[in-house]
Amino acid sequence: MRSIIIAAVLIFLPLHCSLAADETITADMEIKGLIANVGGSGAKFNEYRDIRDGLYGRFHLVYDSDYFVGLRASDIGYDTQSYGLEGGKWGSFKYQLFYYEIPHNFTFGAKSFYSGIGTNNLTYPVHPPGTDVSTWSDFDYSVERKSYGGGIKLDMIKPFYVDVSFSREDRDGTKATAAAGTSPGGIAIELPEPIDYKTDTLKFEAGYAKKPLFVSVSYLYSRFENENENLHFRNPATENTASATDVRTLAPDNNYYKFSLRGNVKLPMNSKFTLNIASSRTQSKTDLLDYYIADVPGGVVPITLSDNIFHGKIDTLNYGFVLTSTPLPFLDGRMFYRYYKKRNKSDEITTEDGEEILINEPFGCKKDDYGMEIGFRLPANLYLLTAYTHVNKERDREDVAENKDDIYSLDLKWNGLDFLTVKAGYEKMHRSADFRRPDVPPDDPEYIEIFVRRFDVAAAERDIYKASVDIYPTESLTIGIGYRNKDTDYDDVVLGLREAKSDEFTVDADYIIGKLMKLTAYYDYEEVKYFQFQRQLPFNATTGFDPSTLPTPQAFNWEAEQKDESYDYGCGADIYVIPKKLTLKLRHDYVRSNGNVDLTYLLGDNPLPSGRTQDNIDISEWDDYRLRSYAVKAVYTATKKLALSLGYVHEKFTYDDAQYKAYQYVPATSGTNGAFLTGANSNQSYRADMFFFSASYTF
Amino acid sequence: MKQKLFLSLFFSVLCFVLVGNLHAAEQDIGYAGIEVCKACHQNIYEQFVKSIHGRKEISGSPANKQGCEACHGPGAEHVRKGGGRGVAIVTFSIKDPAAKKSSQCLSCHQDTRSVAFWDMSRHRSLDVACYDCHSAHYGGDKYLKAAEPALCFNCHRDIRSQSNRQSHHPLKEGLIKCSDCHNPMGDFGKKQIKADSVNELCYTCHAEKRGPFLWEHPPVEEKCLNCHVPHGSNHSKLLEKKVPYLCQSCHDERGHPGSVYTKFETFRGLATSGKNRMFARSCLNCHSNIHGSNGPAARGSHWLR
Repeated sequence: MRSIIIAAVLIFLPLHCSLAADETITADMEIKGLIANVGGSGAKFNEYRDIRDGLYGRFHLVYDSDYFVGLRASDIGYDTQSYGLEGGKWGSFKYQLFYYEIPHNFTFGAKSFYSGIGTNNLTYPVHPPGTDVSTWSDFDYSVERKSYGGGIKLDMIKPFYVDVSFSREDRDGTKATAAAGTSPGGIAIELPEPIDYKTDTLKFEAGYAKKPLFVSVSYLYSRFENENENLHFRNPATENTASATDVRTLAPDNNYYKFSLRGNVKLPMNSKFTLNIASSRTQSKTDLLDYYIADVPGGVVPITLSDNIFHGKIDTLNYGFVLTSTPLPFLDGRMFYRYYKKRNKSDEITTEDGEEILINEPFGCKKDDYGMEIGFRLPANLYLLTAYTHVNKERDREDVAENKDDIYSLDLKWNGLDFLTVKAGYEKMHRSADFRRPDVPPDDPEYIEIFVRRFDVAAAERDIYKASVDIYPTESLTIGIGYRNKDTDYDDVVLGLREAKSDEFTVDADYIIGKLMKLTAYYDYEEVKYFQFQRQLPFNATTGFDPSTLPTPQAFNWEAEQKDESYDYGCGADIYVIPKKLTLKLRHDYVRSNGNVDLTYLLGDNPLPSGRTQDNIDISEWDDYRLRSYAVKAVYTATKKLALSLGYVHEKFTYDDAQYKAYQYVPATSGTNGAFLTGANSNQSYRADMFFFSASYTF
Repeated sequence: MKQKLFLSLFFSVLCFVLVGNLHAAEQDIGYAGIEVCKACHQNIYEQFVKSIHGRKEISGSPANKQGCEACHGPGAEHVRKGGGRGVAIVTFSIKDPAAKKSSQCLSCHQDTRSVAFWDMSRHRSLDVACYDCHSAHYGGDKYLKAAEPALCFNCHRDIRSQSNRQSHHPLKEGLIKCSDCHNPMGDFGKKQIKADSVNELCYTCHAEKRGPFLWEHPPVEEKCLNCHVPHGSNHSKLLEKKVPYLCQSCHDERGHPGSVYTKFETFRGLATSGKNRMFARSCLNCHSNIHGSNGPAARGSHWLR
């Protein structure tokens, strides 16, 4: 890729000296030197970045005439590097080639007693593994996407067009996964999962676009390949030998095809009818394991399968019609109908594990919704939009097979003054659920299902209020203020999530003070609360499933209220120290989250477990974090073509969470307090100081 | 009777067409010409001729029609009256209805596939005009008035806040854009997503989640957004709520799914059992194949392998 760029630059530069009158070459290039001093979690600091000591380059060259060619590159040689070549003939055709990388760093310096990290075979020489973490191997949890491809669009055959593109993404690295050592009631084992994926995507679209008709047909094919079908690991919770290693299954290869037809036609009375029909198929094929590993002599427990190969096959069909119309200048209308069906034709496999027989239940669902919107342009620059949508959902699920949603909304916009726009809105959703009560006796463990309502399908009432004001009293000042309240009540829920509430407030402002400076500022605040009601029962309980049963020390209800309070603010100033020559840019941003969980044992007259009170069980560090950043940059415009910059950035991220506080790699080697962990996501705090110098040149 | 009706209808249509043509004829005589515009609006003229709208190579571009007046309407009267903002000329005032402002753009662009579904766009419904996001005279990618996501955040301030959260897609790092997932010009999907369902959109980048798996997790199969939020979260993996309570809000059974996990079950807690269901990645310490599994027997059906 680098050689292509150098060749292109070499071609472009001489051209610049010998251009015809109607030809131009423009360029924008920058080189930046950076020194970074990072303490703490380098992975969190560089989660999606690659900031380190070094030189960064960026350029964009464009040749323009009847034909055009553009070549761009950024972060050359780094994990975020990106290159693109785009060209064509105006109004005739356009092609593009691209290559880019996206890193995702999770944890650097993770530790494990396993050898073979990065492969699909994790082992250790002697059982049990050592618990002295200092003897373990270091490795990084990090994944890198490398995408490349190209495409061509043909407009020369107007009103017809053709658009074809192909892309490949290679994804490599390691991410954290895990397995239960024994099940149930054993240790947890954190495992480094090898990522070696390849996804090819081919898109083809052809169409016709000329009033009054638009039609397009498209085809998409995507193939996903995982180099590793399974992750083999020696299980420290069992005494099996290396010859009977445990297996965790990984994402299977799959093929995805989609065909769609879309179009619209203009109708009388300023109306348009739009249509969408699409059908897709996803397929996978997996060789199933006919055993599993358990803590038994030899380690291997055979199972009997009705078929050793699983064929996964999911078809979707969706279609929709939309009729839009503006029959009168003050009236906008929209009516729509959408249908979506996911049909799961995957194999049903029967598994016999001793006396236990399991059959998978391929999940399918169907959804159709219809509704209408009517917009009224009222006097005094008032615009009112009213809408109604009805949604029917059906799914292959035992608890709630059907939902019906009725959604009403009202939006109001007023821009009667040159310096003010006011918006307000309200939305009401009523969801009914066809709950299926299981027909089981009170001593059946399934009896608790009578009281459980899962929030994704439970009956609900949801209200959303929102309002915003945008003020621009002068051309140099803009102020925006917004508020949103969302309240969802799951009234039928006995056990599960009963209520979710959120309040958001946002404000921002831009102010230009003549030729002196430009000021920007924003502040966002959100408070979210979730309230859930649950029931604890012993592992082998056969009674007490009804939450109205009098509590005992072993069988009782409990409540949890999670609260997240988040806010972020920022302010910046561009100070024109010497107008058009020297600008000083200052910036400060701050992000803060404060979460907590208020837990309550509902034990009646029974005492709480030893040492616990209703107050000391609560969790006050629940994904708490602060991100502060300060930046200062001076930009000196030496000539019309050359600009020089010098800057400094300070970033500090502090993270505090009860689940990671006082982190231990091996808290215990057996039982349900036991685990062999690797440090994934632990110690995320960091502090970084960056100095940089850059020179940019344009012609 | 039918004949009278037909004749009435026919003459009505005819009158409508004739009046329209007369109106068009009036307009034809009112053009000032681009050189006249240039005399007063030199800066804008220079931007215009360099822009895509100023390119003569593109058939149907304003440069091949009446130049500035292709969008601003005939300007002779504007010139005759001595100019001035909004004086006998089409401007894009904040007080004008969005539909009126957009109609100037759509008169050419509705013949293109990128704007083919504008009529069903939520932006259109909410009175957003092309001009609110695009500049006709100059600009970078797609002539946007600002780069994404800053442009979108002008209105979608709640999303700005979410994208600042510690768990987020690489939007603020500039590695993805709002328009990678959403089509601001209108689409069939809810929230104008570029897919027919949420899962289809997510699988574009997360193809490993497509399965199909032997042991599926129904809420996952139905909608990724049952557990995840797309724009940013305080909780890792863009989860809407933190584990274990997220999982427990559905899985309340005897034994460990329904047990209360408190500060006592953390690393520093004094619990004598059950801590590995709470510390570190909580439920995911064991149930790691939560998006679907091909594992054997109950180890697969419980997403442990």
